Order: sequence, then structure tokens, then C-alpha cells
Amino acid sequence: MSIEVGTQIGELAISLTRAQLVRYAGASTDFNPIHWSDRAASALGLEGVIAHGMLTLGTALRVVTDWVGDPAAVRRYSARFTHPVVVPDDDEGAEVRCVGTVSAVAEDSVTVTIEVTCGGQKVLGAVTAEVSRKGLQ
Amino acid sequence: MGRTYPPTAPYEVSAAKIAEFAAALGDPNPAYSGEAPVAPPTFAAVIGAAAWDGLFADPELDLSLERVVHADQTFVWHRPLRAGDTVTGALNIDKVRCRGAMEIVGVTVRVATLEGEPVVDSSSTFVHTRATS
Repeated sequence: MSIEVGTQIGELAISLTRAQLVRYAGASTDFNPIHWSDRAASALGLEGVIAHGMLTLGTALRVVTDWVGDPAAVRRYSARFTHPVVVPDDDEGAEVRCVGTVSAVAEDSVTVTIEVTCGGQKVLGAVTAEVSRKGLQ
Repeated sequence: MGRTYPPTAPYEVSAAKIAEFAAALGDPNPAYSGEAPVAPPTFAAVIGAAAWDGLFADPELDLSLERVVHADQTFVWHRPLRAGDTVTGALNIDKVRCRGAMEIVGVTVRVATLEGEPVVDSSSTFVHTRATS
């Protein structure tokens, strides 16, 4: 596959459920109650329990790591948290859709921009990941 | 501003914790399991969280975790974090801006091995809202 600006590298639709939020709280040690208690979330004016921003961020990066294969090729990753992902207390959860597109190509690296939405709403802004070209044949 | 906190207690990255973190992300990438697993890139958040604890516990700053919103995040990796690495995170306050009852705080946690080899820098911007009385 030729890698040039505009090349779509992949897309991903991942459902974040309450069960996964609990798992991520434990794994990341981020026990902020807005990620597991509706009471705490609504006290802050949120619609309900929201996903950890870092969980959404980590999920979106999969578009890139699935593409390069080797996660060690990722050199830089940044994003803004623009809109919370509200996760309902049901079996379906909230579906986060991620689409990765090459936005810059340099001699030794490729930059990918990822569009991350939930229910048509952009939830992360300026999501870019730089990967080493070494991993890309 | 410019304040640097003492590094966090040494943290040993285990294959089991890598597997737990990858499962929490729902990511089956084979690099996260097997004989010599690497950590998912955003695993740096685990060490970052420990470093943030020091920031939020600083009585001089009087920041409350319940009043903080994470606004943006940047990771820069020098090399992947691997099972068997023992690392610490040193937090530096890069910038503080005040806007009324809001403070915008930029911090960087530098994660390095005990020998001082840099692994990953994790920069975050937080928006903190002071309680109004």
C-alpha cells in the first residue's frame, strides 16, 4: 500500500460499556467517581457516567497500532478532550467510531489524524499520532 | 510554575499488569502478551496518575481532583515501556494561567528508568475551577 497524505488507514467501531469503564478504572487506577457513579456525574452537571478520556484516547490509538502492527512504532500522540462520552447503563454502551487518515509523510515518520465520534458528535479534537516508518514496509 | 515534584516511587511494569491494561482497552494486539510484552502506549497513564496524586496532594496549590477537567493530552515516547522495566515519574508544572475562578494548569510527567533513561513524557492540561463560597 502506498502511504500518502489522504490515505485512509482504517476505521474502528468500539462499544464502551459500564463494565469496560470499571475494568479501565482498575487497570489505570483512575477511580474518579464520574466514571462509575451516576450520582457523582450528575453532581457535576453531566448527563450520566462518562468514559475516561484516556480510555477513549487509548481506544482511538488502536486504529494506528492495528495498522502498523507494532505498538512500539508510535512516537507521539496528542488530542484534546472536547466532548464527554456518556455511557448508558445498558448492554450496548456507547459506540465510539474512529477513522484514521494519513495527514503528513516525512522521511522517517508518518502522521495520522484520527476522527473520533460518538453518536455523530466529535468527542476528541486534533487527534494526531506520529509513527516511525520503520514499522511500515 | 516551574515547580518540579520528587519522582514517584519506583514502579515495576509486569506482564500481568500489561495484560490487564490491554484487556481494559479491549485490545488483542499480540505485542501485549507472550514472552516479552510491551505495554500499550497509553499505559503511561498509570505512572502519570501516580505523579498527579502528588500534585493534587500539594497543600500550597489547593487543587481538588473533583474540580478538575482534563483538557488535552500529549505523549512523546522515547522507547516503549516493557515488562520488567522499573520506572518513576517526575512531574513538572509547565504553566499556570488564571481566568476568573478557573485555573489552566499545564504539567509534564517525565517517565524514566531508575538509571535515568527517558521512556515517555506525558503532558496534560487541566482546567481547575475554584469552589465559590
